[in-house]
Amino acid sequence: MSSNLVIPIVFNGLSLSAIYILVALGFTLVFGIMRVINFAHGEFAMMGGFALFICYVQLGLPYWLALPLVVPTVGLIGLVAERIVFRPLYGQELPAMIAGLGLSVALADGAVVVFDVHQRNIPSPFDDILTVSGFTFPEDRVIVMGIAVAALIAFWLFIQFTSIGLALRTVAQDREMAEAQGIDTSATYRITFFLATAMAGLAGALFAQIYALSPYMGLVPLVKAFTIVIIGGLGSIAGAALGGILLGMSESFLNTFYGASVAQFASFGAIMLLLILRPWGLLGRPEV
Amino acid sequence: MRPANVAVALPAPARQRALKWVLLGVLAAALLIWPLFTHDFFYTHIATLVLLYCIGGASLHLLVRMGQLSLGHAAFMGIGGYTSALLSTRLGWPFIPAFVASAIVPALVALVLGPILLRLRGVYFVMITYSFGELVRLLFNEWQSLTGGADGIFQIPPPHPFLATSREYYYFALLMAVLCVGFTGRLLSSQTGRFIDAIRESDRLAQSSGVPVLRFKVMVFVISCGLVGMQGSLMAHYIHYLSPGAFGFSESLNFLVFNVIGGMQTLAGPIIGAAFLVSLPELLRGWVELQRVLYGVILIVVMLYLPGGLVMIGRRALELLPIGKGER
Amino acid sequence: MNAKNWWAGAAIAGLTMLAFVLMMGAPAVQAEELKIGAVGTLSGGGTEWGKALQRGLTVAIDEINEAGGVKVGNKTYTLKMIMYDDQYTAQGGTTAAIRLINVDGVKFIIGPVGSPPALGVVAVANPAKVIVLSDGYSGKILTPESKYNFRIQIPTEYFAPGMAKWLAKTYPKAKKVGFISPNDAVGQTLVPVQIEAYKAAGIETVSDEKFDRGMADFTPLITRMVARGADIFELDGDAPGDAGLMVKQARQMGYKGIIIQTGGPGTDEIMRVAGKLADDFLTYDLFDPADPSGAEFVKRYRAQFTGPINGLSPIYYNGMKILAEALRRAGSLDTDKVKGELEKLDGFQTLFGPVRWDGKERYGVRHQLVHDFFVTQVKDGKAKPIARVSHE
Repeated sequence: MSSNLVIPIVFNGLSLSAIYILVALGFTLVFGIMRVINFAHGEFAMMGGFALFICYVQLGLPYWLALPLVVPTVGLIGLVAERIVFRPLYGQELPAMIAGLGLSVALADGAVVVFDVHQRNIPSPFDDILTVSGFTFPEDRVIVMGIAVAALIAFWLFIQFTSIGLALRTVAQDREMAEAQGIDTSATYRITFFLATAMAGLAGALFAQIYALSPYMGLVPLVKAFTIVIIGGLGSIAGAALGGILLGMSESFLNTFYGASVAQFASFGAIMLLLILRPWGLLGRPEV
Repeated sequence: MRPANVAVALPAPARQRALKWVLLGVLAAALLIWPLFTHDFFYTHIATLVLLYCIGGASLHLLVRMGQLSLGHAAFMGIGGYTSALLSTRLGWPFIPAFVASAIVPALVALVLGPILLRLRGVYFVMITYSFGELVRLLFNEWQSLTGGADGIFQIPPPHPFLATSREYYYFALLMAVLCVGFTGRLLSSQTGRFIDAIRESDRLAQSSGVPVLRFKVMVFVISCGLVGMQGSLMAHYIHYLSPGAFGFSESLNFLVFNVIGGMQTLAGPIIGAAFLVSLPELLRGWVELQRVLYGVILIVVMLYLPGGLVMIGRRALELLPIGKGER
Repeated sequence: MNAKNWWAGAAIAGLTMLAFVLMMGAPAVQAEELKIGAVGTLSGGGTEWGKALQRGLTVAIDEINEAGGVKVGNKTYTLKMIMYDDQYTAQGGTTAAIRLINVDGVKFIIGPVGSPPALGVVAVANPAKVIVLSDGYSGKILTPESKYNFRIQIPTEYFAPGMAKWLAKTYPKAKKVGFISPNDAVGQTLVPVQIEAYKAAGIETVSDEKFDRGMADFTPLITRMVARGADIFELDGDAPGDAGLMVKQARQMGYKGIIIQTGGPGTDEIMRVAGKLADDFLTYDLFDPADPSGAEFVKRYRAQFTGPINGLSPIYYNGMKILAEALRRAGSLDTDKVKGELEKLDGFQTLFGPVRWDGKERYGVRHQLVHDFFVTQVKDGKAKPIARVSHE
């Protein structure tokens, strides 16, 4: 194993991180603002993948039209789910969790009924393989990474510089204070859910493009989101970003140098250790 | 829970108690007799599974009542199951010592890990128990020399040659379930149970009453894991085969769902939850593709309209009967 | 618990028992209809294989029924499939088998695909004298106690040596093989068999990587393998979706060596996932689609189902046809007679060639179906058999 493995490891790690962060951000937002652990979060990513499949492959829309369409599509489905499943259960952490689980099963197996269980490939509009000083970079991964990063920057700008973003941050910090200041919390919840599911959908579409698409693919992004949010801290946006990078890079590194089993043991062991020593994550706040 | 109102509103308590015993008697008779009326092993098989899952569901209930929701409970079932299976297949131990070991080993693990894990509450406890469950599953899978790896352990003998078939095992399972659930019920209605509820309401308040909260929690955790370990053993000696896949996240989730769907505030909850959710896939077998979708929808519907769990159906039905009159 | 809850619990328990009692009314059996039981995974990760069984069996049953059904003695029966989910666990297999045998009165079961449920089914079926035609590569499925169960696909120890030898002969310069396999029974049981087979053919194993199911990015593991000098990338028992991703990612990384799957087959799906990059991919295959019986199967499958042809479905199609012939020859539904005919079926022409039973030495019972197989290569988007190999 030599040092010219560093570049591929970093590249792999970053491209995975970007997608993971998109998923984890939505997950942590929903928890931070609405105190709901959305077990169905992975299924929104899956639906994003299928939305891209329908728009790009079945309807034949050009890629740069199909991909942006995924975002509002999944976001709207998210709003429907919020209204039907989660809104009646705000304040009840556990029933919301179980309802989310029911939603996840219904969506995943519903997708099996509609689309059948086998894995699909979304033919990539970018087939080239770029070679830079001896290292190969598949073009579609580079583009996907670029899109994910662009989405993250857009999100960050939104959160930091718009009044809605400010409202979201306020509610995440302290709901009572936010209400006292006149912020409409139920509208905030809707916006949060829309954003969270839309980002998950985008992540799913990007994931489906460079890997493969199947009804059960939502489980892996969910587990990654869980892990990232534990590392970074529930409810912390910066934590999700940090956690995503740490997870992506360490996975890439450990898998390459030590194989998958070691990587798995290490990640669960690290999670347990982190929860024991610092349960609110690296950037979260200890709860009273 | 308004004890004063109940005391005032009940009709003659003696009559109520008599009726209670009659119903209990009818139930017991029914549970004992019905297998004799059917040749179909299928129904005794399902009933046996329900009984065994009642043990695990009730054991998790102890933790749920304490406010600690574990998503790693099936790992302890696996530890118990593997202990019993390995002792009987590899070392030739007879069933009873192997069974006892299947309660002790997970209890010991709980004793060692409890003080660390139980410092966490709420969603953090959920996450750490989930991680622990995954770690244990990986261990079962990887440690091939001990556990047989992904292939699992075969030809686990029944507890006694007499108990090789479904109908006989049903009675054995019934006995074990009654003992375990009964024990759990006794625990919950005793002083210990009151502490458990107190801790759920508020850790700090319970502490101020002089109870060493963490140590108490560990004790309950140890009992809970020992009980589910026993279920693991009973299942292993019934199905005669076990593998790591049976003790993962989805099993842990099942135990939690029994409690939530059945009702988290009463021991009747997980019993009903287990009965409903173990037999539900069998009731739905006709629609092979849609059964899982229906399962998910049912979970949502129950959460939205019956958050107290299925127990509430029984309660509301009983409110219509003359027996419970006066309580509103 | 307080009084209220107690009553509630009792009421629910009573209702549940009532439901059980109501459920016990057995459905009426239709005359002239022969029920064929099927057990396969229809939920969760193993659903592809359950579907393979369902589809392969459906195609066979439809073909047989169209031709008039199965003539057993004086009566002609229409076949009807009853399939239950085994959830890929022993418990699920046991439950499904008990339901089929006890409630539905089935005497013939096809499936399961996986070893855990197969072990569950066989343990219930043999004492009940129910014939089981299953897959599942575990060594414990066929034992001297296996009176009524048969295995209808050759397991890895039968085809790995032949494939390895063919590879060594056709590509004499390739000397180092690397495996990437899932961290479950496939990876743990099958890979060692293949390592041995390659060793016997003079090929050294330089890398044996395992991944947990759910992994989608194999590039780190492929990097490890390439770093050790592998010029043969073996996909062994990887699921078609995973295998397709591995092919795609390996080629994207610039890997130029051989990619072969001694397992599966999952060619159709691999080609869909990897697209152009699947060119030159080699795989173990079960039949030749250019052959008349092969073409017939493909035609019927495509007429009924969309999506890729699941590589395992021919196994169950074939199994059903074999069972139907045994039923015909036995002239009776008595499972001892049918079993006898199954055991004597050598020579009967099927999709996989003439029936041959083996296994006496290996398993103590001659219930292992053996057949020749093919090496198929993908070229310009088409998969074609390029060699026919004998089993070991």
